[in-house]
Amino acid sequence: MPAPRLGYPNLGLGVGLRTVHFPHLLQYQPAVDWFEIISENFMDSQGRPRSVLDQLAERYRIVMHGVSLSIGSTDPLNRDYLARLKSLADSVQAEWVSDHVCWTGVAGRNSHDLLPLPYHEQSLRHVVNRIRTVQEILERRIVLENPSSYVTFTSSTMSEAEFVARMSDEADCGLLLDVNNVYVSSVNHDFDPFEYIDQIPAHRVVQFHLAGHTNMGTHLIDTHDGHVIDPVWELYRHAHLHTGGASTLLEWDAKIPEFPVVHAEVLKARQYMSATLNPRVPWPIHPARQETASAVTVPHPASVLIAEVE
Amino acid sequence: MPYNEQPQLDVIQRWMQAVIVHPDGVAAGIESAAAQSEVKVSADQVDEVIDRSNSQSSIERLEVYAKAYRARLLEVLVGEYPALVHAIGEEVFVELANGYLEAHPPGSYTLAALGQYFPGYLAKSRPARDDEQPDWADFLIDLAHLERIYSEVFDGPGIEQITAISADDIQGLSVEAWLHSKLIPAPCLRLATFDFPVHEYATDVRCERQPAPPQAQMMHLAITRRDFIVRRVGLSEPEFKVLSALIARQTISEALESLLQTTGQPAAEITDDVRRWFHNWTVARYFVGIRSSQ
Repeated sequence: MPAPRLGYPNLGLGVGLRTVHFPHLLQYQPAVDWFEIISENFMDSQGRPRSVLDQLAERYRIVMHGVSLSIGSTDPLNRDYLARLKSLADSVQAEWVSDHVCWTGVAGRNSHDLLPLPYHEQSLRHVVNRIRTVQEILERRIVLENPSSYVTFTSSTMSEAEFVARMSDEADCGLLLDVNNVYVSSVNHDFDPFEYIDQIPAHRVVQFHLAGHTNMGTHLIDTHDGHVIDPVWELYRHAHLHTGGASTLLEWDAKIPEFPVVHAEVLKARQYMSATLNPRVPWPIHPARQETASAVTVPHPASVLIAEVE
Repeated sequence: MPYNEQPQLDVIQRWMQAVIVHPDGVAAGIESAAAQSEVKVSADQVDEVIDRSNSQSSIERLEVYAKAYRARLLEVLVGEYPALVHAIGEEVFVELANGYLEAHPPGSYTLAALGQYFPGYLAKSRPARDDEQPDWADFLIDLAHLERIYSEVFDGPGIEQITAISADDIQGLSVEAWLHSKLIPAPCLRLATFDFPVHEYATDVRCERQPAPPQAQMMHLAITRRDFIVRRVGLSEPEFKVLSALIARQTISEALESLLQTTGQPAAEITDDVRRWFHNWTVARYFVGIRSSQ
């Protein structure tokens, strides 16, 4: 019987660390189970962001979540990036290091987006080999997140859920199951999100992500700019039952409200950890608010800080 | 190469990237030489590569990524150069930034590096001057330089964990030892010269004071960071010269002699200035160590 979460601890209910909340966190030191940081926002910082992180790391447990590993890219792995990632992980004693099942660029370019892969045997071999290499370099098992996506490739020969499941088993890595991403992609690509979760190897799920998204009418965009909608909470309940529970984190990256609002949102997860299943409802139960196409783009939690000048 | 059932992963990645980063949009990207050299498929055949969904065409789906790519990068540049955006308006800024992104596509793992070549790009692509006088383009380039320095100083190495030299350190040395010493500058200390008082303009923008473009006026600035906040101070020409020489690791004696040779002044005339400068530099923590050259 494999250990749940690959042996990683269940840290409870965490919040994504964002710079706008720094003053609140330093002043009030709220009772938060853990924080997830965006690795790239801190790995080169020698200023206030890193100083704040070091202070928080003394009090809170920290998980690192990256956006530039580009595990699916056919460019060579960036060894300098990996060295910096490892250095930061060691320094803040990160509980684990995660990134996404995606590629961010090729031919030396970084689109700074989480681009989808075609899912077939060739891409599976490629990604599995790179995960093994990264795990050797980082000297730990990494945790990879299912992306939200807006295209699929005609060349794919397997579903994303099958790809992710086989990838994690063959590379022996962990999974960050982003429940909102499953929901967003299920609407965009017309699949059953509950069946998706059922295909995920439960013992490999180290962490969950929750977030808000935006309904564009023709598709959903993973905007991380609002509350988690009820269908996603129901999916979370299903994922919680499927896995037996894992560290759960709320992402909020645009129109970020005050910290207590963000924290309160993730605490709602407690209501969905009940063993009592709601009757399985057809999805979507009801749509999130609808936006005009021009107003919304895919968000990105990695950011450039605005310099504070006297 | 005509599209087949399963192109190599590197081929499909280069194709998709060429499509979504094209400045004229997805359809133009599909027809571009870069994309066609990878997957020979036309815009009206692209559903052979990218599935349609129930409610979106293949091109519409790719446009989600194309719009996100450009919007994200522009958002980063707008955030890093707020004074420049104020000076020229967002529409013109976006036009310049789009040109920059074509000339310097992002390659780093960090968005902090995205704007690093923007001031240089503006300087290289500026319109020709009418005469030798600093003009509007010089003002914009100065602004960009200053704002990039602010970014680098803000999150670069600093002195918050280092003890800077103090008045006591200086007073503990003999005059002879002092004059033959070299000072180790704070890692965050930067000196810059501008044709316009862009620091005041940039501060006014950050304070939402709606400044008007200033008249040309040569400015020397020392820019540093204390307590994680970027500080900038205007310097006189002689003070700037001495400080520059010290940062270039000349001894104090060499730096002062060089100034005296330039100005032709007797040493006695600058004694009070020099005292005041060193007092100010110590308070501002411009130096973190003293190294004897004897």
